Amino acid sequence: MNGWRERLRMNLGAIGARARVRVVASWRERSWIVGETIFPFLAMSAFVLVYRGLKAPRIYEAFVVLGGAMIAYWNNILWSMASQFFWEKEQGQLQLYLITPISRMAILLGMALGGIAMTTSRAVVILTGGILVFGIPFPWDRALPAFGLFLLTLGAVYSLGMILSSLFLMWGREAWYTATLFQEPIHLASGFYFPVRALGTVAASLASILPIAVGLDGIRQVLYGEAAHGFLPLRWIPVVLVALLALFLFLAHRSLAFMENMGKREGRLTLRGD
Amino acid sequence: MKRSLEVIRASSWLGWQVEANWADPFLFFVYAIAKPLATTLILFFMVRIVSGGSATEDTFLFLFLGNTFFLYVTEVLIGISWAVFRDREDYETLKYIYTAPIHFLPYLLGRGVTKMATATLGVLVALVFGRFVLGLPIGDAHTPWGLVVLATLLGLVAVVWLGIILAGASLIVARHSINMNEGLSGLFYLLSGAVFPLEVLPGWARTISLGLPFTYWLELLRRLILGRPYAAPLAHMPDMTLWGVLALSTAVLTVFALLWFRWCEHVARSRGLIDWKSNY
Repeated sequence: MNGWRERLRMNLGAIGARARVRVVASWRERSWIVGETIFPFLAMSAFVLVYRGLKAPRIYEAFVVLGGAMIAYWNNILWSMASQFFWEKEQGQLQLYLITPISRMAILLGMALGGIAMTTSRAVVILTGGILVFGIPFPWDRALPAFGLFLLTLGAVYSLGMILSSLFLMWGREAWYTATLFQEPIHLASGFYFPVRALGTVAASLASILPIAVGLDGIRQVLYGEAAHGFLPLRWIPVVLVALLALFLFLAHRSLAFMENMGKREGRLTLRGD
Repeated sequence: MKRSLEVIRASSWLGWQVEANWADPFLFFVYAIAKPLATTLILFFMVRIVSGGSATEDTFLFLFLGNTFFLYVTEVLIGISWAVFRDREDYETLKYIYTAPIHFLPYLLGRGVTKMATATLGVLVALVFGRFVLGLPIGDAHTPWGLVVLATLLGLVAVVWLGIILAGASLIVARHSINMNEGLSGLFYLLSGAVFPLEVLPGWARTISLGLPFTYWLELLRRLILGRPYAAPLAHMPDMTLWGVLALSTAVLTVFALLWFRWCEHVARSRGLIDWKSNY
């Protein structure tokens, strides 16, 4: 009994410690705050102006702003979660995680919570800027259910990040390039800048394996109803997200154990000279 | 000069190894073309979904060209500055470059050459994709392809020196400021009117836009390839004026980049930042 409590205490401590590093770091570097907030907003603005240049209805600009906010989380998953073990390996820190009696899932959960805290500042600036600068319509009366769906989406997306993290655990420099490959193509497949339905039924169905595509589709439907051009029926979306969350958590747990064992056997968890 | 050219050649080879030797050629090819094709298709779907409005094939053609050539800005700009972070913190080789009998600036220019090569691959694939898959009327018998190449090269000079400016900044900021580099690339994407007509920008932003070499570069490329102007605020400018403005702004950028980079190097060395590690 005491052993179980002790393990829980240590893992909770690890979650808090790993998250704290990110929260503290994100406010320590002023250049990061600017880089994480103002510039991404400007980049997103280009896509808002594409629609403005096309004289599209104002609601399309809202699609871009919501997509821009979600991109912040996806990029955080790619660069600060999936590929983080790769960076840690390069720095010689991965082996320190492996010799502690802490679950890898606890480390990743800490990274996820810290990453969400870091990224939320960027998402909030994008959303606020979208409302104040571009005057996008935002129905505040539907914000609460949209926020609930957003939290569910984050859970599923960061669970996917844990799976990616286990894959990246094995990789060397290709991790860097793979993360790059998962940027724009995923922005396309997830419908960050347009309703995912525009991809067509087959492509949009395939994209539904990505929780961020499903979640964004749902959030847009909650906020804008029929005008969101949703793909999946709204009532299905929370169910799909919960299913993806459970599936990805299970797969992440199995995948981490498998990859760690394989990495140990093949000697790929450390670099020469560590 | 000869020594600098040798350094550029060696570092571009090194850059190529860093970029490409992690994968077989096919996988690397996929990597190189994924971004330009994905951004092209994002714009394609954006235009298609509102095509019931005023969007036409002609509208998409201008967006397509701006977006495709802007790939040079994204890749080279971020690539050069990111080389600083990678060498400083991942490979930890920056300090050795400084202790070697070479200058860091030509080394970085060489790394930029590698990024130019990979960006060129992406641009060419995107143009072929646009022409033959999306069926866009890109170029005809009257298109002055020689001038298109010349204009591309001139614009690239500006991009490289801007990359050097960012690389100088990267020497004195933490690793996660890669967001700053990507953000600046996004800022130029916004202000140069790569994917929308300049006239939709608010007045103050349009003023800044008209101070950027990329605005004239993209307009010139569009005119050379399509034979007609795109940005209303530049419509009154003859092609020769666009060439002149692009050349002049590139020269000014070059001088500023040299001064700025020298100052950043001095600061980085005096603060002991050459072997800084800042990955949290």
